[in-house]
Amino acid sequence: MPVKNFVLDARLTPPVLRARLAAGPDGRQRLLAPGVGMFRGAPDPGMLVGPDQPIGALEILGVVHHVLAPVGAGGLVVAPEDAPRSSAPARRAVGFDDLLLVLDPSATRSESAANQSGPAAGPGVSGGAVLRAPTSGRFYVRSGPGKPAFVSVGAVLEPGQTVGLIEVMKTFSRVLYGGDALPSRARVVRICQADESDVAQGDPLLEVEPVDAADDQNTKPHPA
Amino acid sequence: MSAKTRGTPAVPTFRRLMVANRGEVAVRIARACDLLGITPVFATSTADRDAGYLRGRETVCIGAARSPQSYLNMQAIVQAARQSECTALHPGWGFLSENPVFAALCEAHGVTFIGPPARAMHLMGKKTPAKTAMRAAGLALIPGSDGILDSVEQAREVADRVGYPILLKAESGGGGRGMRIARGPDEVASAYADAQAEAIAAFGDGRLYLERLIEGGRHVEIQIMADRYGNVVHLGERDCTVQRNHQKLLEESPSPSLSPEERERTLAAAVRAAASIGYVGAGTMEFLLDQGTLRFMEMNTRLQVEHSVSEVRSGRDLVVEQIRVAAGQPLSFGQADVVLTGHAIECRINAEDPAHNFKPAPGKIVRWHSPTGEGVRVDTHVDSGYEVPPHYDSLLCKVITAGATRDEAADRMIAALGELVCEGVPTTVPLHLQILRSPAFRSNHYDTRAIPGI
Repeated sequence: MPVKNFVLDARLTPPVLRARLAAGPDGRQRLLAPGVGMFRGAPDPGMLVGPDQPIGALEILGVVHHVLAPVGAGGLVVAPEDAPRSSAPARRAVGFDDLLLVLDPSATRSESAANQSGPAAGPGVSGGAVLRAPTSGRFYVRSGPGKPAFVSVGAVLEPGQTVGLIEVMKTFSRVLYGGDALPSRARVVRICQADESDVAQGDPLLEVEPVDAADDQNTKPHPA
Repeated sequence: MSAKTRGTPAVPTFRRLMVANRGEVAVRIARACDLLGITPVFATSTADRDAGYLRGRETVCIGAARSPQSYLNMQAIVQAARQSECTALHPGWGFLSENPVFAALCEAHGVTFIGPPARAMHLMGKKTPAKTAMRAAGLALIPGSDGILDSVEQAREVADRVGYPILLKAESGGGGRGMRIARGPDEVASAYADAQAEAIAAFGDGRLYLERLIEGGRHVEIQIMADRYGNVVHLGERDCTVQRNHQKLLEESPSPSLSPEERERTLAAAVRAAASIGYVGAGTMEFLLDQGTLRFMEMNTRLQVEHSVSEVRSGRDLVVEQIRVAAGQPLSFGQADVVLTGHAIECRINAEDPAHNFKPAPGKIVRWHSPTGEGVRVDTHVDSGYEVPPHYDSLLCKVITAGATRDEAADRMIAALGELVCEGVPTTVPLHLQILRSPAFRSNHYDTRAIPGI
């Protein structure tokens, strides 16, 4: 008979969740709940926490998940202003994004990476022209999973060419290259948004530079 | 007012109820909770947690803005219900409302799912078993195959019997995908292959069935309410023919196209059909009105957006009734107590731009004013300053008007829509006004093929 009764004991290999990292006031880091559940076992104030270190357990529908500090987190645990007293319950209900722990990175000066959170999504300031999002929504660089991206760095764009999709309220529309402030033929310098990122209207999508007719010969993606 | 003071027997109901949805329907459910003296707790995503409609309410944030991480995240929602000490959960419509797995997960963790039993939900979620059950209960069907087709040859045989044009449909289909029309015998083979390929790609299930294609019918549906003790009542029908891209725009009751005999016959058959499958709670059977005959299409095992039309005509609160029934109480009224009066019309106002091919238009609503007046009901979660998030559907508000006649209800709707103010985002109000003023709508000369007046 085949052995089918093998059961993985969840107590030996508990699932792992990573806390979310947010910048707090005066350079402190706030570690936020990665899900809904009953949280317990947070380290006491004064303890040192670094990336990938356990900061407690979150029980979701009876399953205990270990919560680890995310990459970039590190510092001394400090008691927040609304710190639970010693008489606080052993475990408390938390919602998604609720505060779990406050860390003070300045106390350790290790590989403090308080400012690491958030990708560099600032507007294009390198002098090139920028194609901006025509509407708020979710930006897709490809037409579907496993499909090639619409454009890549170095590609030459012409007005009317599709550079991505934006989904608003379940409706997809194409983002077309073009606009008064943009060169009629342009090369992609940088793609400012990751696939499936949420963009606001006016956020930069692509940085482009004008293409001269002369050096256009060798960069044409599809030679006529 | 609590349930006790309304003269109903003091059967225990729930003390706290999780609202596992957002926007207009969340507000609607909370209103029913307030009437029953139940504390609603809202499950909310990060995109909605600061919205005005949650002000002063208990909330649990269940995840990030995108619905797979929040409103579709079953574990997070059930855990949120558990830790906020809710003993019942209302799924609203959309999201997880017709998911039997979610209903089962709720029950497994001691949270009463407000909806039909998982088996009824499962049965009605499958196209051909649902049709078989409904035919056995005496409802007319669209002529077609008895269940799944085995081959192209069988499809051709059935098509010869029911007559062309025919529609090949995917057993697991939805949203218009996995469907192909064949207008003659020579088109069956290619339509079959295309529909099957699309169904496998979209749903991982290539099984097909076949129906005669009915062009130009009317979309009519029947509201059902049932309790655990076998009592089933209907609350009349609704006509939802006015649609754009399979999205309902305007609903009304009674249907101006239905003959009294056919109404009588189908309402009775629908009640019998719901009883035969052991249905509990609110549900809707959708029909196509084909040359005077109502032919069953599918059943929605949940509260529907347009339930308020039936509420206005019957004076019954369907959400209150849903909660009572889920708590194990019998229906508070029988069929004889359901008196349908006058005519009711509902318009769904969406944040879409009619000038740009109804492109969804998220953004901040600077100023909002809901219409008021005799025979006007407005269901909305929007107020001035509300920010329409880009992640979810675009329904802003439902306006329902009642009148003694269809014309009176339509005139009241025109006045109400004229009073509605929404500054900041474009809405579909101009489209509704165009429909309501059109001779085609007023004289009832339209069908599913086109929007009247457009």
